[in-house]
Amino acid sequence: MTVGEREAILALLNSPHVTAPTRRALLERLDARYARQFFDEAEFGRLRALSVRLVPHDPAEMDLAGTVDHRLHSGVGDGWRYADAPPDGEAYRALLAALPEGFEALGGEAQDAAIPSIQSSHPYAFEDLLAELTEAFMAHPLTQYRFGYAGFADAPEWPRVGPNELEPREVAYGPR
Amino acid sequence: MAPANALPTDLDVLVIGTGAGGAPLLARLAGAGLKVAALEAGVRHPPEGIATDEVAQAGIFWLDERLSAGNDPVSFGRNNSGRGVGGSTLHYTAYTPRAQPDDLKLKTEFGVGEDWPLEFAELEPYYDELEYFLGVSGPAEYPWGPPRQRAYRHPPLPLNGAARLMQKACAEIGMKTSPAANAALSRPQEQPGYGTRHTCTNRGFCQAGCSVGAKASMDVTFLALAEFHGARIVDGAQVTALTVKGGRVTGAEFMRGDEVEHLSAKTVILAAGAVETPRLLLMNGLANSSGQVGRNFMAHVGVQVWGQVEDDLRPYKGIPGGLISEDTHRVPGLVGGYLLQSLGVMPVTYATQYARGTLKWGPELVRHLSGYNHVAGINVLGECLPYEHNYLELSDELDARGLPKPRVHFSFGENEKRMTAHAEALMRDLWGRIGARDVWALPRAAHTLGTARMGRDPETSVVNPVGRSHDIENLWICDNSTYPSSLSVNPALTQMALSLRTADALLDGLKQA
Repeated sequence: MTVGEREAILALLNSPHVTAPTRRALLERLDARYARQFFDEAEFGRLRALSVRLVPHDPAEMDLAGTVDHRLHSGVGDGWRYADAPPDGEAYRALLAALPEGFEALGGEAQDAAIPSIQSSHPYAFEDLLAELTEAFMAHPLTQYRFGYAGFADAPEWPRVGPNELEPREVAYGPR
Repeated sequence: MAPANALPTDLDVLVIGTGAGGAPLLARLAGAGLKVAALEAGVRHPPEGIATDEVAQAGIFWLDERLSAGNDPVSFGRNNSGRGVGGSTLHYTAYTPRAQPDDLKLKTEFGVGEDWPLEFAELEPYYDELEYFLGVSGPAEYPWGPPRQRAYRHPPLPLNGAARLMQKACAEIGMKTSPAANAALSRPQEQPGYGTRHTCTNRGFCQAGCSVGAKASMDVTFLALAEFHGARIVDGAQVTALTVKGGRVTGAEFMRGDEVEHLSAKTVILAAGAVETPRLLLMNGLANSSGQVGRNFMAHVGVQVWGQVEDDLRPYKGIPGGLISEDTHRVPGLVGGYLLQSLGVMPVTYATQYARGTLKWGPELVRHLSGYNHVAGINVLGECLPYEHNYLELSDELDARGLPKPRVHFSFGENEKRMTAHAEALMRDLWGRIGARDVWALPRAAHTLGTARMGRDPETSVVNPVGRSHDIENLWICDNSTYPSSLSVNPALTQMALSLRTADALLDGLKQA
């Protein structure tokens, strides 16, 4: 995250365009880092490497693997799971164990080449993990800034909703 | 004097659940002078505390784990189950089309499915009453269904990008469209028992909860009215058992925090939805002489088609379902039919649906998601027939309270598969006409329906046509579990109509007693 990106994100989040509960949630997420608690060190190393290939990101900027570990440790779920799949943590462990030995040390292309086989051997765990990482990625203020998403800045209102009818705060938000 | 937080005693009626099934009747019964209370598993979510952020709003969804089985496992949680004072209306998109008369007569028309044990004429006055009370915004002339007795209270909400694209594409092929009826305010409204509800700010986050009270969720409408009339709402209270004595229900046991408590009442109304209602009945072995509890689970055909356009659409703005067409209410070759609606979408919902629906990963995934501001969606909501193979049962797996998790079996039948294919082809054609790129389809099912159906025959149904259980005289059910067929429209408005109707039936019964 460059200094400029951070300043732009904070400027909008701290503006009157954002409601207090929204600001609180996004500021907390912007810098969230989690200590590993659920997976062991080797599993977590694999999870982090796999996460970067599935949803390309810089782990120093957003802790997607940590978000997953934290969620599993806290025991919070999303309301359902496939009846044929074991509980999430168990399913993810089996998925990670199915990766080839030394996966985290492989080059990016070799890592990508290993992914289709775990997808076919553990389809539910693969889908659930992909969706969970995608959620953490899309919910992150840095991603939202880079994609020009300003939907959280709705405290006044959006008086015009047609195509290309943008408010100044929408036009201004995101990479130039 | 008893402390303010003491539980009420000598209740006439105890209602379990505060959504579209429980809330309207709670207000009606309280208004008629009955001593009533409701138990709600979730807590209060005042509008001003609602963030414009999907992850932060996880608390308005039912996140206790359910097990999804069958060929087309249904996703729960954010897909279709609310938690909190107001139930699933906290996250419904406020889409409020009426059922059409023939929706209630599927068996008569097609020889399959089920007829409802009531006529459209019985629902119509309730529809009129509800659209006014909730403050539905809609067109002056609605093109489908019988002419209405009472106009929509407010003019339609503005059409967002996806709605205008759908309007254009449908016009090209001669399909009629109309601004949809939405229970979100296009003008401010005074709400009895609540105060002023503000005009919709076009914030688009209806599914994450409304932050200004514009959306007619039950908390700012019927529940406020119910409390004004003296009803008690006990929140954070998860019901764990119904208590029974001498063939009558005597009340419910529930957990608040770690405490197990009990409320007694002369009459109990289960309004916990099509998963929790049958789960409670099965756990307690109640109201199931027909063997129908948990059977005939239904979820609407809900295939969505998405694409991206050059225009900057900002799909987070405006009411998500702004435009409707019911021209596909009947389609040759299909049993029942479907409606089309334009779709705005929140970013995290879109992203996770894309990931699950396409299983794309790596740079391709991120490239697609970076085009979020250009996304336009369209979807259908269509008939799902009741089937033997779709049912809810108790699993051996226990939840944190030691109660069995529900397992829901769901597989589309032939009709649902044909409907999905028909609708997907139509929507791909429409999105082709607006020049959308990266078009993809998400096969999907929405809403939870069935599992405690209503009917006249105690051998084949769980409750009678007004919602009283055939087996237990003082146990009523009022939620989407009683739907004998799914209807080809969103269930909330009809559910509220059934709720008022059940209240009136109960009050009539008391008058005669």
